[in-house]
Amino acid sequence: MKREQAEIKLRHIFGLKTFYDSQWVVIERLFEGKRVLFIEKTGFGKSLCYQFPATQFNGTTVIFSPLIALMRDQVQKLQSLGISAKAIHSNQTEEENLQIIHNAENNHIKILYIAPERMENAHWLQTARTMKLSMVVVDEAHCVSMWGHDFRPAFRRIVNLVNLLPSSFPVLATTATATKRVEQDILSQIGKNMHSMRGTLLRPNLRLRVAHVASEDEKMLWLGENIEKLPGTGIIYTGTQISTQIYANWFNYLKIPSVAYNSRVDPESRKIIEQGLLDNAYKCVVSTNALGMGIDKPDIRFIIHTQIPQSPVHYYQEIGRAGRDGRPALILLFYNPKDDLHLPKSFIESAKPSDKKYYAVINAIKSERLGLHQLIKTVNLKQTQVRVILADLIEQGIVNEVLEGKNKKYEYKFNAPQLNITTFEELRSSKFNELEKMVQYTNLKQCRMQFLCDFLGDSLPNPCENCDNDTGKHIKVTIIEPWRSRLENFKGNYFPELELEPQKGENRKNPIKHSPLVNGVAASYYGFSNVGKTLHQCKYQHGVDFPDDLVNLTLKAFYHHYRDEQFDLVLYVPPTESGNLVKNFAGKIAQALNLPISDNLRKIRTTLPQKSFETNLLKGDNVAGAFEYEPSRDIQDKSILLVDDIFDSGATIKEIGKYLSKLGAVKVAPLVIAKTVGGDI
Amino acid sequence: MNRYNSEAPYWITIAHLPKWGTEKINRLIVKIFHQFQMNLEEFFKLSETDWLGNFLLSEQEISDLNNAKNELANSAFLAEDLYSQGYEIISLNSPAYSKILKDNLKIKHAPPVLYVKGNTQILQADSIAIVGSRDASEISLQFTDNIAKAASERNQVVVSGFAKGVDKQALDSAIKYHGKSIIVLPQGIMTFTSGFKRYYQSIIQGDVLVLSVFHPKSVWSAGLAMARNPIIYGLAKDIFVAQSSEKGGTWSGVINGLKKGRVIYVRMPEDSEINANRLLIEKGAAPVDLAGNVSNSGVNLNTNTQRTLF
Repeated sequence: MKREQAEIKLRHIFGLKTFYDSQWVVIERLFEGKRVLFIEKTGFGKSLCYQFPATQFNGTTVIFSPLIALMRDQVQKLQSLGISAKAIHSNQTEEENLQIIHNAENNHIKILYIAPERMENAHWLQTARTMKLSMVVVDEAHCVSMWGHDFRPAFRRIVNLVNLLPSSFPVLATTATATKRVEQDILSQIGKNMHSMRGTLLRPNLRLRVAHVASEDEKMLWLGENIEKLPGTGIIYTGTQISTQIYANWFNYLKIPSVAYNSRVDPESRKIIEQGLLDNAYKCVVSTNALGMGIDKPDIRFIIHTQIPQSPVHYYQEIGRAGRDGRPALILLFYNPKDDLHLPKSFIESAKPSDKKYYAVINAIKSERLGLHQLIKTVNLKQTQVRVILADLIEQGIVNEVLEGKNKKYEYKFNAPQLNITTFEELRSSKFNELEKMVQYTNLKQCRMQFLCDFLGDSLPNPCENCDNDTGKHIKVTIIEPWRSRLENFKGNYFPELELEPQKGENRKNPIKHSPLVNGVAASYYGFSNVGKTLHQCKYQHGVDFPDDLVNLTLKAFYHHYRDEQFDLVLYVPPTESGNLVKNFAGKIAQALNLPISDNLRKIRTTLPQKSFETNLLKGDNVAGAFEYEPSRDIQDKSILLVDDIFDSGATIKEIGKYLSKLGAVKVAPLVIAKTVGGDI
Repeated sequence: MNRYNSEAPYWITIAHLPKWGTEKINRLIVKIFHQFQMNLEEFFKLSETDWLGNFLLSEQEISDLNNAKNELANSAFLAEDLYSQGYEIISLNSPAYSKILKDNLKIKHAPPVLYVKGNTQILQADSIAIVGSRDASEISLQFTDNIAKAASERNQVVVSGFAKGVDKQALDSAIKYHGKSIIVLPQGIMTFTSGFKRYYQSIIQGDVLVLSVFHPKSVWSAGLAMARNPIIYGLAKDIFVAQSSEKGGTWSGVINGLKKGRVIYVRMPEDSEINANRLLIEKGAAPVDLAGNVSNSGVNLNTNTQRTLF
């Protein structure tokens, strides 16, 4: 097809006048049955490079994309143009997905977006063996490279697939961010007959700023004071899920419309938040890196990081979402040299579990063909760690993932090679180098944009003339009253919720029968104020009770969360080791609330400290059936306030909730002093 | 990734061309690789004119091959799934392909593709097959155990067909005596779920190779069970029959083998036994005693096999 002909069709189908030259080069190659790796910045129009040819091919184009939000946006856009587009992903019910798969089988779908994980699904594989395929697209292709900023093991099977596709079958891989090393890695993995094309990375409208601070408080204070003065709406990236909640609550406390977004937020609420962001319903969305890729909002006016990202690639990727309309956007990074490296460093350190854990998994699989849950229990490791280990073992050809009916099992491979840990070490040192580059970015005296582009393999001839170093417009944080007391006041009135009720998303898939256990409340996060330190001291100095200000803070949390709910009885979690700390504490709470308290909830067998188990599955097993209450009829129809000191996995509280439910309790409401933030204790 | 043969989807596609028999497929493969010194990828890139003019293919054949070409991407999904679950795809031109099988079945019957899981080196080893009825007698099972034991002691691979009776005994005995085995499936390899679970340890220790020549997703059928018999015979240097009735898979397999000139050892039955062993001996099979030794019943063995067997 000639370009002129194509552009007539482009107008007709997409309502666009012309292709960019580089878009047309890509499209022409795809028409010739060639393969292209297209590296272009976000918002350039990479998707048109496959969407247009897809409408011209006589079959289905399959796009592997890891981003559900992006799939949803694109599908909506294509459908509004009258193009039959669908997406298959885990946020839809299995029935919805099966219906789409069925339509694909009958060649009723032109453009099919699909999550990479789906390559492990028997239904999909069955369909893929029979449907009429015209092209394969690997979106976010940097995910295939472990040297990239977002390596995803689920892409392994896509790499394998692309290598097995006939050489004249068109394949497009796209990414916005790939260093030279990642580009080479993508080409060497899926590069059979593949050409790469690179665009420029300069984003002249981004105003890069760095603000050095001395504490987390300073970040909160500056934002509290200034965020409303910033034009438009934007995103604040924090380092952890908890901090998204803390910041969002801080803003809401200041009556600044804001919301927390992270991967724990249920899919329905996420959809609502994403839509709210598009509609400028919030001044800012406070998010982990779970939000962003694929959010197609042209007018994000600021992106602020309260936590230094792991590498300049991560950073460029995240700030690239701002100012797609070409108008100015503020890009600010807060950096506290004293504390902020702790998180990315521990992230890099813990990216790969120890060798010992790898061998434990290998040995378990050698002795028996196991499913994921059986394996987690056998080796007593966290699910996330087991997943990382399995992905590496599969990648290295030591373990196979097989289907036994519908269940996934892991089996050892005959003649498997030895575990190769040298790549893990190389990877770790490469990640530390990248983090070091990010620290360099914060201390830079020259153009920041030049530094970022250079790191990403695109050398800018001139400074951007827009960053703080080029313009001399630096942001300095100075604290003035009344902001400091506002923050203190906020902290004393902030009570984290204990999530125990099934999430909305879970509910939809397998509705659980009504449980009397309700979401509880903690007086504080373990490390957020000095509560954690006080708890720790009391626990290790025998004979000292928790101080009264903890009792008062916990009562405040009670009134805040439960308001005027009525309770009949106070129970407390019997301790694993001896000691009356919790008993005495619960007694004071009961007295203050004028409620009866009972000491009859007992442990009927010894349990181990929950912190000795890495996986929640074993924590559940550890306390299963461990509790008893005599006389059990006292519990019938009672609303119970359940007191404990520290809330970690929630396994103990859940077990007690289950037990009391059996005895006929109508409500079990947890109240604790502190909630941990992953690995506090 | 280099573990994968990027031609696998082509082989899968061509191996299961509908309505093409094995010989027709193999003749085309030989033409492509020997006469034209090409691989399958190059062949499928050719124009119809080349197929017509150089390969002298008929219109119907060209239409079949065009259909096959359109399925290559689908076969890529299948190949990826197979590899990902630890199966291997051994094509006729691969050094891993069983030489014995090729020598025995030749262009007429050698399957273009073997789907396997386990220790593929077993395919290169000296081998025997033990076959017989599903409802075999005690003495036949004893014979099977004897033969499997002797074979295992001599490092010979025991080939069997995973049916009840003699087949299962042959496999279980070989495992018991720490020998090596090939299970030749009467079904596609991806449908052998419970078997892979049951023989997991033997497979990962390299003692058992599971093999199928059918489309990986095919479920068991009587037709596939029959079609699998020549593969069992083809994979073995020597064939031992524990027990046969006068019809059915064992019987037709032996008769077929004899027609092809294979030497087949049949257990000499006791006088009281009611089965077709004696009949097979009369038709030219070589009688052996309970221990597998060649009986002196006047059957003339050629010099190659004139040896104390066990």
